[in-house]
Amino acid sequence: MNTSATLKLLLLTLALSASHPARGDETRDDEARGDAQWWSLRPPSRPDLPPDHHWCEGEIDRFVLARLREGGLEPSDRADARTLIRRLWLVLLGVPPSPEEVESFVANSAPDRWARLVDRALDDPRYGERWAQHWLDVIRWAETAGFETNNPREKAWPYRDWVIRSLNADKPYDRFVREQIAGDTVGEDAALGFLVAGPANLEGQIGEDEASIRQARQDELDEVIGTVGQAVLGLTLQCARCHDHKFDPISQRDYYAMQSVFAGLRYGHRRLRGAEDDAWIAKAPDVARRAESLGARLESMRVKHGLRGPLADVQEETFDPTSTGRVRMKIRATASGGSASLFELQVWTAKRGGESRNVALASSGGSATASSFALENQTRHPDNLVDGELDSTGTGWPWKAAKAGPAWVEVTLREPAVIDRIVWYGGGGMPVDYEIETRSPSGGWKRVAHTRDRLPRGDDGRAADRVSLEGVRATDVAEIVRVNKELAAARAEHARLSAGPQVFGATFASPDPVWLLERGDPMRRLERVASDVPASLGSLGLELDAGEARRRVALARHLTRRDHPLTARVVVNRIWQHHFGGGLVLTPSDFGRMGARPSHPLLLDWLAVELVDRGWSLKALHRTILRSATFRQSSRPRTEAIDVDADCRLLWRFAPRRVEAEVIRDSILAASGTLNPDRFGPGFDFFRQKGGLSDYHPHETFDERGRRRMIYATKIRMQAVDIFSAFDCPDAGRMTARRSRSVTPLQALSLLNSPFANRHARLFAGRVEREEEGLDRRVARAVRIAFGRSPDAGEAARLSKLAMEHGLEAVCRVLLNASEFVYVP
Amino acid sequence: MTIRRRPPPSLLDRRRFLSRTADGLGCIALASLLSTSSGVRANDAEIDDTNPYAPRPPHFVPRAKNVIVVQCSGALSHVDTFDFKPDLIRHDGKPIPGNEKLVSFQGENGNLRRPLWKFRPRGECAKQVSDLVPRIGELADELCFIHSLTTRTNTHGPAENVISTGFAFDGFPSMGAWFTYALGSENRDLPAFVAIEDPRGMPQSGPNNWANGFLPAAFQGTPFSSTKPIRFLARPDRVTSANDVAVRDALAFLNDRHQERFAGDQQLRARVASYELAARMQVSVPEAAGVDREPEHVQRLYGADSANRTKASFARNCILARRLVERGVRFVQLFNGAYASGGRINWDGHSRLQEQYDVHGEVLDQPVAGLLADLRQRGLLESTLVVFCTEFGRMPMFQAGTYGRDHNPFGFTAWLAGAGVRAPYTFGATDAFGFKAEKDVITVHDLHATILHLLGIDHENLTFYHNGIERRLTDVHGRVLTEILV
Repeated sequence: MNTSATLKLLLLTLALSASHPARGDETRDDEARGDAQWWSLRPPSRPDLPPDHHWCEGEIDRFVLARLREGGLEPSDRADARTLIRRLWLVLLGVPPSPEEVESFVANSAPDRWARLVDRALDDPRYGERWAQHWLDVIRWAETAGFETNNPREKAWPYRDWVIRSLNADKPYDRFVREQIAGDTVGEDAALGFLVAGPANLEGQIGEDEASIRQARQDELDEVIGTVGQAVLGLTLQCARCHDHKFDPISQRDYYAMQSVFAGLRYGHRRLRGAEDDAWIAKAPDVARRAESLGARLESMRVKHGLRGPLADVQEETFDPTSTGRVRMKIRATASGGSASLFELQVWTAKRGGESRNVALASSGGSATASSFALENQTRHPDNLVDGELDSTGTGWPWKAAKAGPAWVEVTLREPAVIDRIVWYGGGGMPVDYEIETRSPSGGWKRVAHTRDRLPRGDDGRAADRVSLEGVRATDVAEIVRVNKELAAARAEHARLSAGPQVFGATFASPDPVWLLERGDPMRRLERVASDVPASLGSLGLELDAGEARRRVALARHLTRRDHPLTARVVVNRIWQHHFGGGLVLTPSDFGRMGARPSHPLLLDWLAVELVDRGWSLKALHRTILRSATFRQSSRPRTEAIDVDADCRLLWRFAPRRVEAEVIRDSILAASGTLNPDRFGPGFDFFRQKGGLSDYHPHETFDERGRRRMIYATKIRMQAVDIFSAFDCPDAGRMTARRSRSVTPLQALSLLNSPFANRHARLFAGRVEREEEGLDRRVARAVRIAFGRSPDAGEAARLSKLAMEHGLEAVCRVLLNASEFVYVP
Repeated sequence: MTIRRRPPPSLLDRRRFLSRTADGLGCIALASLLSTSSGVRANDAEIDDTNPYAPRPPHFVPRAKNVIVVQCSGALSHVDTFDFKPDLIRHDGKPIPGNEKLVSFQGENGNLRRPLWKFRPRGECAKQVSDLVPRIGELADELCFIHSLTTRTNTHGPAENVISTGFAFDGFPSMGAWFTYALGSENRDLPAFVAIEDPRGMPQSGPNNWANGFLPAAFQGTPFSSTKPIRFLARPDRVTSANDVAVRDALAFLNDRHQERFAGDQQLRARVASYELAARMQVSVPEAAGVDREPEHVQRLYGADSANRTKASFARNCILARRLVERGVRFVQLFNGAYASGGRINWDGHSRLQEQYDVHGEVLDQPVAGLLADLRQRGLLESTLVVFCTEFGRMPMFQAGTYGRDHNPFGFTAWLAGAGVRAPYTFGATDAFGFKAEKDVITVHDLHATILHLLGIDHENLTFYHNGIERRLTDVHGRVLTEILV
């Protein structure tokens, strides 16, 4: 390094130290915890503009230039038009421009051509598809629950579409935040997918013991606090779960105050109000009328044939008092055709002036046997029939037969008793055809109840020829079964329409009390805590028993206050990061003491104030950034600048970078001419299943639906996606505010050898052959599609030779692997 | 406990700065003024993006160079294998005193149930090991048993996360990823960290067991096995070798020219290098995975000649593990048992434990014993640490109304063998029935701290900044079990 470079470096260092007096570790230790004067906790104010200069296009450039000069650096020249349109398309839309778009922009000489191009790109609906991904990364949104079952979350995708639509409509960011926290209060149900974006263990996967149940609930809410805290506030609130935050002014009490805001939240499905819902509501009465007339028809047949009503899920059978020591139930068929299953079988003594008692209970000396019982993870033993537990709440399990088909259960009483009532509780395999018999003390079984004089249940799946009713002819039985099934279908349809379209999102119930927990241990409750934001940010002023929605509305209002110190700063920094590859603050979800300091604190504040003053319009913010000279700089390296600022933190050029996994896939599809532009709706699948833990078998080929942009792929949590996970596509395990950009041999193998890449190289070649004649022209066309420029003489010669010897497909395989194809220039 | 704070990112890339510095002294002072670059670092060495696998020095002289983790998915019953409890036999069929009404993961428990396989003294040390794993038992003199391990969740997925990553949640870096982040790799042609899946399928937490979490993707485990090769390793069938070579040459030509326009951009240089490494892997991986090339007596030692296809495949995975270690892959995670399946294809014996474990024991025993014996006879055990573990243990009782045992996070067994480990040795103990650890109770963090220690890494000083926290494999816990070290 020569002397002048060393001097520059020194200048740079001094400049940084001057603007950040508290940079070193030692000085940071001196700052007391709880100090609300930390830079990010002071509201931003509009800074004075640094001097103008002919290089500058707007205010941003004045801040950037001033900072560069402090570091002894100069900015770079304007990039050429060809580079700029490609950069704009990749950054803002996530796909490369077509050769025609490039040529038309290059040929345009109007002085406002760049401003117009930026406006055009901002109006392009692909913008929302590209930038929604950034937000989904931050909140680790996925369409499965995570953990060991990783079950699918049906109908989670409307949230993804809501984000895309909100961005394309330039929904003001304050509204964007408010709807995601309290969308239920303004009819924005899909927005509530935000709060439940994280993983959560399913009920059946949580231990039966109290400690496990409480722990699971704490974990569930911790994910919500993490989502809101990191995504909106840029604070690591979760660090204060077990103790006061070690570095930031967040106490353990603050943590539980935030938990209290969400104490009524549940992970689930909610009605998605809107046009589709209105249509369903309008359709429901017709279906109800149809169900009604089918019901009347069935009832008249029931009366005509003298049948009793259908069996219930919990069925009582009464009969004349009879003395017995044993009772058995012979089951011939179940509603589903699967194994018979009951939670409980009760045998009640006749009253005769006294109390009626269930003498089947094990605690009364009863015992149960069965034809068989299933061996599953949990007990399915006939003991369950007489344990007094009537359903699956608590530790109750049903008896279940080992296999489908006829089965029996029998209860032996401690001593014979006079009984007149049997009650059974269904356990899933609902009996629909059975007899109940008692053993008389003198020997011999007597039938006391049966089902063949009853109308079949609505869910009875038996074919008509498997149903027999005493005294009813087969043709009449068939008619009863047919009408019964139609009625069941109509009722199900009515229920579906009445429930309305569903979306996976937060649902809300009356809030549970929230306690401060000693060291975060759910079994060690200290005092109760009211809903609030961290004290260093102010107070919501809510009482301990504030209503559920009021808590969230208050939080949403707090977060979107014009003078909030964090909300605007955090989002402008995220936007900046996705334009330039790194944020002004390099730790986009941590603006606390453990996070990085801003490289351009004044610019960050100016952008934050600007955002709020322009009505929180994100598109206005994009426009300001994209029109700047800073964004339009050349990306060429300059030795003297690389020597002192290789990471380009001072923005002396536009630093080139590898595009993300999604952009690679979308660009390959665009190059091969097969990208399906369809928007919205259920995702396409990378795997043959949508959830679960068992081995995921990747699809090797994709139909039309699977050639949509990658944001429309069903997102499986914790599951690597072929080819693209190697390119740092996050798996929605933890929140990803900034993707790593690693370089690994698996990436090379994927792009070189995967069937996907090779199929699209072939399709790419086919497209070029259709569009152009002659080998040299075809090679040139392929390069223009892939890189947005013509090949130079050397490249043309080399690639034409390859095409001649191994076909155009080989050339396309090269182009899809080329660095230039996967870099923002 | 210390948490290393991350200094604020400076404008400088210290590595580059120092490498370009001619006038050493002044610039070193300047560099320390500026602290480190925004890049990541391990052991005070920075990670070079262009060569993330460059070998990095450990914190201190390591006892072990390589690790093979044999991980039993589904929770292997300690009371039926390695943790002998005579009282459990004496109290067979009686309620467990003091916990008669115990409700555990799946609900009510029944009475104590004796081990379902006979225990016998094994080796010179006469350690009691059951007939379910007799061949592993024969090697008892090589093993260091830990009977007092505990974990903090009784659910498979989260507990498997704990044993692999130290955290119950999804998304944290696995032990192998931390290890690779710390030390890089010694070989240039193979992945640094390989996860070998069971032939029956994925473990319960799937790829989370070998994920990089928030560490750079370069440190994730590469999954492949004798039944499941690395994806996309071979060139496509329809591409001839000459075609492939021509494509690579043309690609190198284009990439070189592109890189020339961006002289000094490390990422682009790394990208070119990654294509070269990929090409080397295409040769070296099939060579390393060539289990068939092993002589017949070796195949027999592991049981790779078994007519039981699952056992033969698992045996081949064990041979693969040894071949990888021999070739400089320093961290191998070898799974036995697959996903949740009612105990059918993993160790989750809730209802038919005896019947299912008879099947699984046959698959596990000889191949793992063969692996240990083979490592020993080749002298590899002196530089290789073998860790045998599972996510938690099982109850000494049968569950009410079943013929199996429920989850038990309160006390279970792991064993270590090889470099730096005291053997034969038994550390810690559970109570009279194997229900709860009561002597020298330890956590998974302690096990992790000890493993890292054997590899020359101070677990408190291996950190990575993520979302506001300097993260560690051991969170804010962990004690090195000096008692079990030689």
